[in-house]
Amino acid sequence: MSQELLKNVLEAVVDGDVEAVTEFTEKAVAAGVKPLEILNEGLVKGIEVVGERFAEGDYFLPDLILGAKAMDAGISVIEPLLTSEKRDFLGKVMIGTVEGDLHDIGKNIVIMMLKSNGFEVFDLGVDVPSKVFVDKVKELKPQIVGISALLTTTVNKQKEIIELLQEEGLRDQVKVIIGGAPINQAWADKIGADGYGEDALSAVALCKNLLGIK
Amino acid sequence: MDFEFFNETELEQMHRATVEILTKIGISTLSDRLKGLLLDNGCKEQGGRILFTEEVIEKALKTVPSNFNLYGRNGCELVIEMGKQKAYAQTCVGAPSVIDLETEEKRDATLKDLEDFAKLADALENIHLISPVFPRDVPQEIIVTSETAATLRYSSKPQRICAESSHELPYIIEVLAAAAGGMEALRQRPIAYIEVSTISPLNSGFHPAEALIDIVEAGIPLGIVPCPMMGATGPVTLAGCVAQHNAEILSSVVASQLLKPGAPVVMSPRVTFMDMKTGLGLWAMPEQGLAAAASAQLAKYYNIPSTVTGYSGAAKVADIQSGYEHLYNALLPALIGTDIIAAAGSLDNCLISCYAMLVIDDELSSVIRHTIAGCEVSEDTLAIDVIEEIVKTNEAFLGHKHTRKHLRAGAFWKPPIGDRSTYDSWAVNKMKLEDKARQKAKELLATHEVVPLSPEADAEIDEILKKALKESTNN
Repeated sequence: MSQELLKNVLEAVVDGDVEAVTEFTEKAVAAGVKPLEILNEGLVKGIEVVGERFAEGDYFLPDLILGAKAMDAGISVIEPLLTSEKRDFLGKVMIGTVEGDLHDIGKNIVIMMLKSNGFEVFDLGVDVPSKVFVDKVKELKPQIVGISALLTTTVNKQKEIIELLQEEGLRDQVKVIIGGAPINQAWADKIGADGYGEDALSAVALCKNLLGIK
Repeated sequence: MDFEFFNETELEQMHRATVEILTKIGISTLSDRLKGLLLDNGCKEQGGRILFTEEVIEKALKTVPSNFNLYGRNGCELVIEMGKQKAYAQTCVGAPSVIDLETEEKRDATLKDLEDFAKLADALENIHLISPVFPRDVPQEIIVTSETAATLRYSSKPQRICAESSHELPYIIEVLAAAAGGMEALRQRPIAYIEVSTISPLNSGFHPAEALIDIVEAGIPLGIVPCPMMGATGPVTLAGCVAQHNAEILSSVVASQLLKPGAPVVMSPRVTFMDMKTGLGLWAMPEQGLAAAASAQLAKYYNIPSTVTGYSGAAKVADIQSGYEHLYNALLPALIGTDIIAAAGSLDNCLISCYAMLVIDDELSSVIRHTIAGCEVSEDTLAIDVIEEIVKTNEAFLGHKHTRKHLRAGAFWKPPIGDRSTYDSWAVNKMKLEDKARQKAKELLATHEVVPLSPEADAEIDEILKKALKESTNN
């Protein structure tokens, strides 16, 4: 019975079916399956299958995002029960779009990619003042901060945030990664960012690399 | 020529969907000025969104001018007749990178590139409006003002400016007024139109909304250029994304008319799509060209001038792919009918500007404009008497005055650089089109002379730049 329910959870994640994941996760909890087992054997395994199919070219970005949403739905069912058993994350990432810029589709894809690859991600949203980036670095103590900008008039904020981190003596405590359509490696080098990815997929490899994860 | 993308029933469905989106879903904005304007004129606020009414939309659509003109500054005779669907070509805006003309490698765009692209576009006969590349080596606080000034100095042709932030607008307008011979002269004979890019889906943001109001109040033609991506910031389906996009653009058109009935405004649809493997924003074919054609037909339906992006694609170098992508994406909306086709000289989904590609797009612009000019059907062009005469005299058409007359009048299109020589004469150098384009770009940059701004205007613009930089860095 519990094996069958775990399989149902896994398959529902692979299908990106939020309702089904919620239903089967609740059923598994009611049937006495341990929350950590549901997480590792159902939800995480499901998102791994999604990742494999994406890598093989059978799945596309909407499949990834729906898969991640389905996994999140399952996690929100078991999270209150996981108090003693903490989730293991690969690392803590904080990410936002700079002040004066309301564009967030690229940032949101990066968030989904990082989450489904096992990172804990804090989303600061859009139009985030530089000072807020710095304050949140102090508060959340992420290992990596991601700064997104799309407009040619707002990319300079990426530089400003790195300078502010420097002034506050926080620069060596956090890795800074940047992204956005007008961004390239030369700009990352110029403003002293630790990394840049030309698309959402490279963000995962970049973060793993920066944290020394293979 | 008369082509259509939607039939009459579909066109009506697209319009009804647009109205439904505006009345049921509405727009959001962070600008109290825009919000106030819309609410004072009959729109309603619900759940933080502004909902339009059919009456407001209908009333505003009645006052939009169906045509107006744009002009070059001193030294330019060009008149851009907006509303006549002449498919003028405009250079790509905001590319952060260029393909270096000497090394043929990609590198960051500089102020020198902005100047050179403006100069090259000034020299090319079939490129009509200039938009700047994105130079990294100018003060970023006043970047759009600096771009506008540099473009004015290196080209006398009309400009298209993207106002990405509202704080620079007063300076940009001052610079334009200096070149046009004063504010009143600028209003009478605008040498630029200024576009705002609201955010998809259905969000006018803060800066685009504020800039919209300032542009209309200044009396400068306004363009509205949101940029949804099918499947990411708009529906994946072409009809759905075009309808949402049309609603986004119309919301700003309506605002412009509520503010100042009769204010000149341009609909600038840019429906792009996302690569579902990498998340890249694609400005490629066929989706971009199809959506541009669909959107252009909607602008025609409202009798409002329009621009689209057509000289664009995903190719990374000037090659066969960039050639067919640009021709496809530009020709489709041109056949439906649009005023300006943007992004000439672009590569890599409008992220690179390329000198050679600009020369190739000049060639494409030439053939597209020749194509849409259509074919005159008259007694003279039907030439039945000429046929009769030739057949009866057993002569060749080659030696008839009718042939000479029409040849001189442009009966055949002449490619600016395309090869039509015999094989053997081509084989002497075996030059590919890309090589010829690079060669022509180098020649024009070495020899073309841009008519300078008047010394007074030039000095005035210097003062404005100094003031703008001082005030912007003090804040």
